[in-house]
Amino acid sequence: MSRPRPRWTTTTGHVTGIALLFVAAGMFASAIIEAVSGTDGQAMILASVLTALPGVTLWLWTRPGSLDRATVFTAVAGTWLVVSAFGALPYLLAGTFQRGEIGPLEVLADAIFESVSGFSCTGSTVFGSHNLIADQGPGILIYRQFTQWIGGMGIVLLVVTVLPALRASGLGLIGAEAPGEGGDRLAPRMAQTARRFWYVYVGLTALIATALLAAGMTPFDAVAHAFTTASTGGFSTRDASIGYWDSVAVEMVIMIGLLMGGANFTLHSRSVSSRRPVHMKDAEFRSYIWLLTGATLVVTVLLMDDGMGMTRALRSAAFNVVTLGTSGGFGNATGPGSNGDFVRWAAGPQLVLLLLLVSGGCTGSTSGGVKVMRLTVGISHARRTLRSIRHPRAVLPVRHGSGTLAEPLVERIAGFMVVYGMLVVSGTLVVAALGTDLVTALGGVIGSLGNMGPALNKAGPTASFVDGFTAPARTVLALLMLIGRLELFPMLLMLVTPYRVLQDGVRSRHS
Amino acid sequence: MATGKTRRPWASWTATTAWSVSASLLLVGGLAVLAGLVDLIDTGADTPTLLTAGSGMCIAGVLLYARVERPDNTRPADILAATTLAMTLAILLVAAIYLLTGAAQRPDDALFEATTGITTTAMSVLDPAILGDGMRFLRAGTQWAGGFAALLVGIVILPFFGFGREFADRSRSGGYRPLAPDEWSATRNIAKLYVPGTILIWIGYALAGKGPFDALLLAMSTISTGGFTNSPDEFADASVQWVAILGMFLAGSSMVTLWHLVVGRGGLHRQTGLMLYLGMHIAGALLLMLWSTGDGMDSVRQTLFVVAASVSTTGFPMRIPHGWGAAAPVLLLLLVSIGAMSGSAGGGLQIRQHRALMKLAVREMARQLHPRAVLKVRLAGRVAGENTLRQIVVLQFLFVAVVFGTAFLVAIFGLDLSSSLSAAVHATATAGPVRALDGSLVDPGTWSRPVRLALLPAMIFGRLSIYPAVVALASLLNLLRSKTRLRRRYRARVHGRNL
Repeated sequence: MSRPRPRWTTTTGHVTGIALLFVAAGMFASAIIEAVSGTDGQAMILASVLTALPGVTLWLWTRPGSLDRATVFTAVAGTWLVVSAFGALPYLLAGTFQRGEIGPLEVLADAIFESVSGFSCTGSTVFGSHNLIADQGPGILIYRQFTQWIGGMGIVLLVVTVLPALRASGLGLIGAEAPGEGGDRLAPRMAQTARRFWYVYVGLTALIATALLAAGMTPFDAVAHAFTTASTGGFSTRDASIGYWDSVAVEMVIMIGLLMGGANFTLHSRSVSSRRPVHMKDAEFRSYIWLLTGATLVVTVLLMDDGMGMTRALRSAAFNVVTLGTSGGFGNATGPGSNGDFVRWAAGPQLVLLLLLVSGGCTGSTSGGVKVMRLTVGISHARRTLRSIRHPRAVLPVRHGSGTLAEPLVERIAGFMVVYGMLVVSGTLVVAALGTDLVTALGGVIGSLGNMGPALNKAGPTASFVDGFTAPARTVLALLMLIGRLELFPMLLMLVTPYRVLQDGVRSRHS
Repeated sequence: MATGKTRRPWASWTATTAWSVSASLLLVGGLAVLAGLVDLIDTGADTPTLLTAGSGMCIAGVLLYARVERPDNTRPADILAATTLAMTLAILLVAAIYLLTGAAQRPDDALFEATTGITTTAMSVLDPAILGDGMRFLRAGTQWAGGFAALLVGIVILPFFGFGREFADRSRSGGYRPLAPDEWSATRNIAKLYVPGTILIWIGYALAGKGPFDALLLAMSTISTGGFTNSPDEFADASVQWVAILGMFLAGSSMVTLWHLVVGRGGLHRQTGLMLYLGMHIAGALLLMLWSTGDGMDSVRQTLFVVAASVSTTGFPMRIPHGWGAAAPVLLLLLVSIGAMSGSAGGGLQIRQHRALMKLAVREMARQLHPRAVLKVRLAGRVAGENTLRQIVVLQFLFVAVVFGTAFLVAIFGLDLSSSLSAAVHATATAGPVRALDGSLVDPGTWSRPVRLALLPAMIFGRLSIYPAVVALASLLNLLRSKTRLRRRYRARVHGRNL
């Protein structure tokens, strides 16, 4: 029997449909694990069916069309919103966030928060002392990790990999979803490029899982943490995160995994194909390593100055610098007030961490934040502007590595920084207005926009976001996570196409 | 026939340096002489010291000025660096006077007080109650002079030699007199507004019940957005509060806008910047009232006072008797960092820069949809040049960098995270006393010495709108590098050659 002819030409619908099918498949796989050794198997199967149904419907009844830039933004942002909403179904149906004292709206807000935090690879969680991760079944836990793994490389990228019908439109879609200023093509065809990215991603995940297994984790924990390390997500299957193992070996593997996840995947792919590492030839990667090394040294010295022993200071500093600098968001605190609990550190090292919350990893990686490339270009741009005051007639290009950047790219980066700054300021004011103190609000907003995970003060590595933020504030943060994951513009401009369609409809009715 | 000895013109940087030294000597010397004369009204205990130091400085300033040979060509970068040097030197001279008269016992206290005075920051560590009239006059005078210097930087120096040349009010179109047709006329015109403004506020305070001398000191601190007070209960009276609110609003308004209103160039409704500035006051007061538990007319007035003190970056202290919501201190911090109108004595990043940044953000979004479109940004009725826009973006970047750098330094020296951020924002915006998260005022005297010293560079950077200070720093580094020949030595070592 042949497939019925698609009726509607809507790329957004088509991409969303296929993305929902992938998520439903992940839910179903998690449901099988839950059915074997947990209690919420049926709920998860129901969730996967409820997700698959609209997915199949959209896939069969729509077809992709041509895309202008506004439609690309709508397609990508719409896909992420719908996927995040359906991604909350397992939590809702399994009653994961059901607590006696809260109403259904807050339960819904918590489920959506956890789902958005998962898909956007933020790693902020509403699990906490009132609702322990340890009480959850393995299906829910692995599903939670899976959301980060699929979100890390990008849902739309996954769709483009299997959907050759998108052809040239795929480039626009990937560009709108990918972190950083455009990406390098690894192959002539976009689908091939996307496939290569996925090969590297799967390979990296497998490597991390094997190393974690060797470092002493159980197979379940190793795979679960490999998912969230390669994706620089930060969800853990333990309430104390990596602090549960209190193991240098585990922390080292996680750190190396995060460093790889925070680096440009094009470099990994080229290293694999040329069979020698090419990372250090890249200016952004060098800056990324220098930034993290410098921050580690500064934080270590400040922690030692605060009375911590050198070994402990170095271990705590290195882990937290890498986990926040790559937007991983794992914690190595064994409990509140322990060495790794950075909200109990002095203000100096916390400010360094706040700076890292802004910077993030490299372009073309799974990490969030502003990205090291934008920061270095921003600094070069500032230097150029200052030099132009001293030498008003000189022609001064902005350099990045050994190359010179085109002026439109520099302007685009400057524009991005301006919009980012405005979102931080307005977000902090809104979150503070919803009942949060200055430092928690600022840390939460920067952390959410940068998809980092833990923030400062009441939202530290050993705290739940339920303790630090009210339900409306958490909803605002969830929105910021999606805005940050899609590099600001797709979410901010997603309503342009619907508005134009509405406007055309009104005009045609009048005429 | 006697032939006159021809003197060669000085190099640009030598002449501008000498001018800046001479200007600071004359300014501080003149202030000290005036203060010495004022002290005669009181006990006259500080008069000999003030007159001796002041006249010595004036003589040195005049002698130096007379020796300078005007250079053929003055480089803009040298003028910006000289502006920074003049402010730094004025701070050091005022600090020396504080120490000579015994008003401050320790050099760091003297330096802090002098810096907060000249930069109009209003974080005082001296008790004005134990100072004589002469020293109180000098203290307020430093702020008055600092406010005038800020106006010169904002209206003359930066647009003429730095950035934003298109916003310098030079156009004579329509037969109107511009505020700044050239450097010297601009200085004269600014004085024509600044001095009557001071007198107006002085009369206001006097009518509200203040003694003539106290009213004068308060007027000098108000018009300059300085914020020094003479006693803890300076603003206990409601009528004094109203005069202060109006005075702070006036001080934070753009001199260009005020000039346009005076010469009849456009009505109030055409002054978009002024409308935004007024809107910030109203919106800020409404939000603050929403987030606090006070009610009644007293609460409205006190809220307006706090908002005006923050927006204009004057920083007059006001203890709020009622409770604050969590967002209230965040709002005040935001208002302080936005600051007053460009072309005013107020600090912060200033409203025009924020308008430009907002328009840039909107343009960037439009560019995402239409990457090849040519989109211009219009500000104050003029198309802003791409170079100016670039410099405004970098200014924002530098402002944030100065805030973070300062917060990091004071955090290392012992302040907690929120106090560090708050102190750094207030210092960079030159906005005066820091508020804790519960809204209470923090006394800078309780901070350690390193914390106070770490805040000083931020105040200077903020008062000079950052660019001149950064250019001065770059010039200094270049000078050091060329004198020590570090680059040549490094290259020689790398390439194995001798120097």
